[in-house]
Amino acid sequence: MTTRTEFLSRIRTEVGKTPGLFSARTAPRPSDPRAVSETIKRELAERWPQALERFQLEFERVAGVFHRAASIAVVPQVVAGIARENEVRRLVAWDAPELGADLLDALTARGLEPFAMPPGDLADATERAELRRRVADAELGLTGVDLAIAETGTLVLRSGAGRPRSTSLLPACHIAVFDRTALIETLGQAGVFLELWNRGELEGRIGAVTSFITGPSRTADIELTLTRGVHGPKEVHAIFVDQAIRG
Amino acid sequence: MSETDLSVPFRRRAGSALGDKHLQEALTIATTKFIGLRRDAFDEFPEGERLRDLAREIKEATLQHLHRYVEQLIDSVERLGGHVHYATTPEEARRVVLDIAARTGARMAVKSKSMASEEIHLNEALEAAGVIPIETDLGEYIIQLAHERPSHIIAPAIHKTKGQVADLFAKELKRQVAADPEELTRIARVELRQKFLEADLGITGANFAVADTGTVVLVTNEGNGRMVTSLPRVHVAVMGVEKVVPSMTDLMVFLQILAKSATGQKLSVYTTLVRGPRRPGELEGPDEFHLVLLDNGRIRQIAGPLREALYCLRCGACLNVCPVYRQIGGHAYGYTYPGPIGILLTAMLEGPGSVKDLAHASSLCGACADACPVRIDIPKMLVELRREIHEARIAPWTERLAYGLMEKVLASPSLYRWSKPLARLLQRPFARDGRIRSVPLAFTEWTRTRDLPALAPQTFHEQWPTLK
Amino acid sequence: MNAPVRAALMVTCLGDMFFPEVGVSVTRLLRRLGVTVDFPQGQTCCGQPLFNSGYHAGATRVAARTVEVFRDAEHVVVPSGSCAYMVRHEYPALLRDTPARAEAERLAGRTYELSQFLVRVLGKTRFKASVSGRVTYHDSCHLLRGLHESEAPRILLKNLEGAELVELPGGDECCGFGGSFSVRLPEVSSQILDKKIRNIEATGAACVVACDSGCLMQMGGGLGRRRSKVRPLHLAELLAGDER
Repeated sequence: MTTRTEFLSRIRTEVGKTPGLFSARTAPRPSDPRAVSETIKRELAERWPQALERFQLEFERVAGVFHRAASIAVVPQVVAGIARENEVRRLVAWDAPELGADLLDALTARGLEPFAMPPGDLADATERAELRRRVADAELGLTGVDLAIAETGTLVLRSGAGRPRSTSLLPACHIAVFDRTALIETLGQAGVFLELWNRGELEGRIGAVTSFITGPSRTADIELTLTRGVHGPKEVHAIFVDQAIRG
Repeated sequence: MSETDLSVPFRRRAGSALGDKHLQEALTIATTKFIGLRRDAFDEFPEGERLRDLAREIKEATLQHLHRYVEQLIDSVERLGGHVHYATTPEEARRVVLDIAARTGARMAVKSKSMASEEIHLNEALEAAGVIPIETDLGEYIIQLAHERPSHIIAPAIHKTKGQVADLFAKELKRQVAADPEELTRIARVELRQKFLEADLGITGANFAVADTGTVVLVTNEGNGRMVTSLPRVHVAVMGVEKVVPSMTDLMVFLQILAKSATGQKLSVYTTLVRGPRRPGELEGPDEFHLVLLDNGRIRQIAGPLREALYCLRCGACLNVCPVYRQIGGHAYGYTYPGPIGILLTAMLEGPGSVKDLAHASSLCGACADACPVRIDIPKMLVELRREIHEARIAPWTERLAYGLMEKVLASPSLYRWSKPLARLLQRPFARDGRIRSVPLAFTEWTRTRDLPALAPQTFHEQWPTLK
Repeated sequence: MNAPVRAALMVTCLGDMFFPEVGVSVTRLLRRLGVTVDFPQGQTCCGQPLFNSGYHAGATRVAARTVEVFRDAEHVVVPSGSCAYMVRHEYPALLRDTPARAEAERLAGRTYELSQFLVRVLGKTRFKASVSGRVTYHDSCHLLRGLHESEAPRILLKNLEGAELVELPGGDECCGFGGSFSVRLPEVSSQILDKKIRNIEATGAACVVACDSGCLMQMGGGLGRRRSKVRPLHLAELLAGDER
């Protein structure tokens, strides 16, 4: 079997044989991504309505459904509306602190059967299997959003404790709730946040996966006919909350 | 028809593709659509050209220090608790995956679309070892059921009609289904959802791997990449060693042009960034993460004539615009990677001898280089391959003789002058009204469908003195 | 243009042997514009057929000779995008390690495809057409993607008195010639040509214009076999105003 040393030394030898095709540099990185990210946010504090308009436009172009709610308290009503339209009730949601609010009672009151994800891992294998079955059976998945990218209508979700990957993946309908603190304009700006998030070791509750989600799952593999919901959700809803979710 | 037998000469393989009416229609529709989608995407994106230059530069800069970036990637992945493996050959890569499967007691593997795993023929090896491989990209799933190989890098089943897919599902899944893409997709969703939940092993490729953070990046539209990296207890990513990019900032440059080049989307539906196995506190995600770094002929090209082919993002844009691919499709090429870039990658993987015919399967029209998001000069490398093939004396002796003669004539004005009356004499039996409709030797086939102009009664050289 | 311009014609091998009328048209056209036209004797072919098939030693010898033949030319005009591309882009690399290197680079800098020479060097854009009615234009690959020129021929065609330019659908797609490609894979080449001809005929144009004898040989060969009414025409023939 090839070892790390052999493999790397073979690459080093070949690299040493040539100066390359032309003089080239990698992309210039932000030296202080935190500062740059704060500047982005600061600038958006003024420009956010335009960014939101663009987000809605692009999100709808990729077949996302956009909703707007005055405050987080109105969100259960919007969710209930989506559930009613799809004639479904079973919902799984990120753990309340990750979502920014506890909506379970309000959802239950509106006739849904909501279930919150545990705040961390489960030690017991049977319990885990049970939970997976529950997520797989759920028809709606309710999550928060770490970034909403206006340029592409993309939702960025980081996995972690209380925010499992499957909530936005297994249910046929994904509902994501965000406010203007998540809103950014471009993919280039998203790069700054990726630099920031991935510096050094992963912090406490943050998980291994960052997902960029741009509309519902789709395929065109049969005669190039665009079909939605092949593996992931068939519907993606984004609910923009005007009043900051976390007070 | 679509299964490829390499013992059949390339020209015959191409010929049967040309005769396949359905394939012709499918190819025209698919490639025309992809060309339009790509064009629209870049028209709407004024920064596109600058980003393509930048992306090209990043690829080159990365290769200039590849050992450093690969080492950084390895360290990053290991710091995250992942395991890194090294494979010089396809055999070694298969062995690594089989060992992981055996050690973890895996019975079923779900795969998201990966050209690297196609390249090492992983499925056959898994099957032989008693692990059931399930392709989960819809196109790949279809061709796996049909026991075929992909015919396009990003649309593996474009050669199949919905009717053929319905028949296939009826036969393999024992279900009567209408020949409706929506319905067929729904059936596949149900079938494959079960597999995702049952499988022990998730196998992916990697569109990119970020050195600085140890992140493996998967770009999909269906969501199977997310399934495969979230649900099974072991995740193995197999990637060509050239897929490493230095930083997240570099990654974003590529993401801005990849989907636009491939399908005309601004961004594919899912871009999944995976950093090692499940973290503490995470409910889901694999317990084990393995990264298999694959050489298979790549490393020696860092300083080789095919260096630029190591920039390739596997977007498929060069296939769609290639006049040859558009006529013959992917299977006729006979190897894992079809189209113009596929010829270069085949030469990289299998050696230049493997492409002695394929190297000529291009009119050198340059449409591929034009469409390539990182502007790979494919025609230049095809010519370079032809040179290697000539110099290795692999070309037939008749051809070498003909070109030897051509050189003698073209390098000598007097020979060139005297060759013309000779040619005029030779063409006499075939030429009529300045046209040749049929002629022996190398041009027989030319004249089957096209007239050849006859040598002019007076060449320009001969006319020049009268033009004073 | 005050000082008289002098240009050497590189007529190309196909132009010399199969399409001498193209060279004649170029000569007339340039003379009419006051250009002194030279035709350096001893020219044969740019060597592209050898080069593209991988016979680089041979191509290098042919290139070195060509460089020598055109040593004294002020400008070199080539009625072929493909041969102009060869001289401009491949010669310097091909002759890099030979004594002809500097001369090759000098030649590359003075060599122009015909439409580029007319528009960009002479600044001449208005001509009378030799045929009237609709014409369509095929972008030859090396002119379009090698020399990045799609404008100059169109400027000339749009300003053409008596003719109307209709854009060819898929005009930027290869006609399937590709030199030895058309001989090695004749079936594929023919099928690419079929599509090109369908597109040409759909425009309703009386002739299809190109700036490359290779493409004209291929398209003309296909049109002739189908007994099509569409005439293949080199840009020079259309601009020179002489009927064939």
